[in-house]
Amino acid sequence: MSSPPTKTTKNKTTKTAPSRPRDHLSPEDHLEILKQLYLARYFDVRLIKEKRRGRLTGTLYSSHNQEAILVGTLFPLKPSDWISPIHRDMPAFFLKDMRSGWENPDRMGMSIEEVCAQVWCKVGSPGRARDNWSHIGSRAKHIIHSTSMLAGTIPVAAGVVLADRLNGGDAVVLTYNGEGSTAQGVFHEAINFAAVHKLPVITIVENNQWAFGTPLELGCPTPDVATRADGYGIPGLIADGQDVFDVYDKVMEAIEWARAGKGPSIIECKTFRAYGHGDHDDDRAAKYRPQDEVEKGRSRDPIAVCKRYLVERGYLSNADALAFAAENKGAQEAKDDDFPPDVVAYMKKGVDYAIASPSPPAEEGGMWVFSD
Amino acid sequence: MAATQEKTKKNYLTAIREALDEEMERNPDMICLGEDIGLLGGAFGVTEGLMSKFGTHRVYDMPISEAAIVGVGVGACLNGKTVMAEMQFIDFISCGFDQIVNNLATYHYRTAGEVAMPMVIRGPAGGYGGGALYHSQMNEAWFAHSPGIKVVCPSTPFDAKGLMKAALRDKNPVLYFELKQLYRWSAIDEVLPDEDYEVPIGKAAIRREGRDVTIITYGQNVYHCLDAAKKLEEDNIDAEVIDLRSLVPLDEAAIVQSLQKTSRAIVVNEAPRTCGFAGEIVARISETAFQYLDAPVLRVTRMDTPVPWAHSLERYVLPSVEKIAEAARSVCRF
Ligand SMILES: Cc1ncc(C[n+]2csc(CCOP(=O)(O)OP(=O)(O)O)c2C)c(N)n1
Ligand SMILES: [Mg+2]
Repeated sequence: MSSPPTKTTKNKTTKTAPSRPRDHLSPEDHLEILKQLYLARYFDVRLIKEKRRGRLTGTLYSSHNQEAILVGTLFPLKPSDWISPIHRDMPAFFLKDMRSGWENPDRMGMSIEEVCAQVWCKVGSPGRARDNWSHIGSRAKHIIHSTSMLAGTIPVAAGVVLADRLNGGDAVVLTYNGEGSTAQGVFHEAINFAAVHKLPVITIVENNQWAFGTPLELGCPTPDVATRADGYGIPGLIADGQDVFDVYDKVMEAIEWARAGKGPSIIECKTFRAYGHGDHDDDRAAKYRPQDEVEKGRSRDPIAVCKRYLVERGYLSNADALAFAAENKGAQEAKDDDFPPDVVAYMKKGVDYAIASPSPPAEEGGMWVFSD
Repeated sequence: MAATQEKTKKNYLTAIREALDEEMERNPDMICLGEDIGLLGGAFGVTEGLMSKFGTHRVYDMPISEAAIVGVGVGACLNGKTVMAEMQFIDFISCGFDQIVNNLATYHYRTAGEVAMPMVIRGPAGGYGGGALYHSQMNEAWFAHSPGIKVVCPSTPFDAKGLMKAALRDKNPVLYFELKQLYRWSAIDEVLPDEDYEVPIGKAAIRREGRDVTIITYGQNVYHCLDAAKKLEEDNIDAEVIDLRSLVPLDEAAIVQSLQKTSRAIVVNEAPRTCGFAGEIVARISETAFQYLDAPVLRVTRMDTPVPWAHSLERYVLPSVEKIAEAARSVCRF
């Protein structure tokens, strides 16, 4: 990422690069990345099952098939970096700073207990069940609280790193957006500002080809969203959103660029929405999306892509690759023993905590309108 | 024979859809703009069938930009079209706020009457469904406070269809608040007339006649008020319930007439208390009907908070049958 304006690189070109950021990861890191993919998938699978059993309220926006984007963008971060996830990024809340230890209470990410309590609408949630699902955050953990208003937190992200620079920090911020959300005026307004001031705002666009019932071509005039970066004179990268290591490489580039004071960038991750927009939309989505498009879009499961690479590189034995078979399975087919036992156990702790946590007391409805 | 055939009752959502469909048919200059309204047929299905029937040149799946939806609509109206603009949830209207209050609402005024803006902005509104902060709002007061926009809020299938037709035939911008909890609530299904009809904008409806206290409301709170009126019978209080249906213009005559009979009133709306539309009604009563009053007029509104997610919290901040009944009792005790 040497010379702005835009260098839109496709996956293939990076393969020939002599040394990629991923090549500096240890063998353990490689296996940890696979483990995190399993965890993100299991979280989703479990919630879909719980929702179908009627145990959850609210809409579930599945991140199935998009997990490589979450893991690949979060793994390169330092603990003090900030993120701004949105509706489809629920696992991001606990995946952030997983490298400091899944069980480490001081890590700069939410615990699985906190995230599950939020999903179960219980008082144990960091937001005390005041707003739903992904509308949580944590100032202490450097996670920006989203609203429903798409793209509405990108300027907030810019403000956070503006303040961080004033405070002498070197944090970057990752904001997550669907490709449909890039149509909002505030998407432009925020990135424009960040570019003017060379702020370390990295805009991740999860281009899953659909925005609710609207296909990409009716929301965006170009097939690549990343080319918008040209207008701001900032780098626009394209990553293979099914390949966690390609995402990792691109994000590492953008982070180095940003920490060097060179400013923002846009990283478009090409992927495909596996299910309906939300679980309420599964049946209708089966009608408005052509079946062959859906099958093709789901044909490169990020877990399978990752495993294949790890085996090729000798980080994972063939036997170990076959031990768990979560890939290419829908939420209903996937069973607990398709996942590593520690992943299932980790999630179980979250679910148990959430179920035991009470609903918030009614009077809290009137609290915290103003600070004292 | 038609007489022996039982007419099917229709729900609130179908009533809105029929109005849109019939107006699209009647008015070749009408177009529809909104997110996911075509291929999908709308998040709730209100526009189902419109794109396949009228084509992609009259029904637009818009990029996710409320400012573009409204602003493009303004331009189309300027050039002779009638526009239905959908907000996927009325909460997202804030992202198009500038286009509405500064562009759309003022157009007729600042052009000394040269330009009319026949646009209806509609979208699902209201709480009581666990939709939390951004899928529960009733932000009608923002627009009632912006001169140049009419504001309506139907509570029955009959009114939903008739008000939508009136709104689409009106030369002025109309903000049409539809209650998503009423969309498919079968308890209020009703048979709709075969013939074309309008419900005039600016006319209230008496939903229940009574002698002792007037309960003034609109939207889904109409049903909470009717339940409260039932409860009040136990206290020998005979409540009259007025469903405003339109906020701008407001049917002051209906309110005054009722007060001449009851001399007591409460006003109920699910928006927050401060600067909510209920406050406006209290002010109008004070200006025009003070002489009929035997008690101060009370409001039952949402607390001055957002709408929280958890059921316990949501119930706590929103008006309820119990809170309404208690307010009515207290003005009757005064
Ligand atoms: C300002 C605003 N308008 C409309 C919506 C309703 N809405 C929620 S998600 C969504 C589609 C988002 O598509 P995209 O950005 O591609 O993200 P994806 O859901 O595909 O991950 C829409 C229209 C909203 N949340 N905010
Ligand atoms: Mg999308």
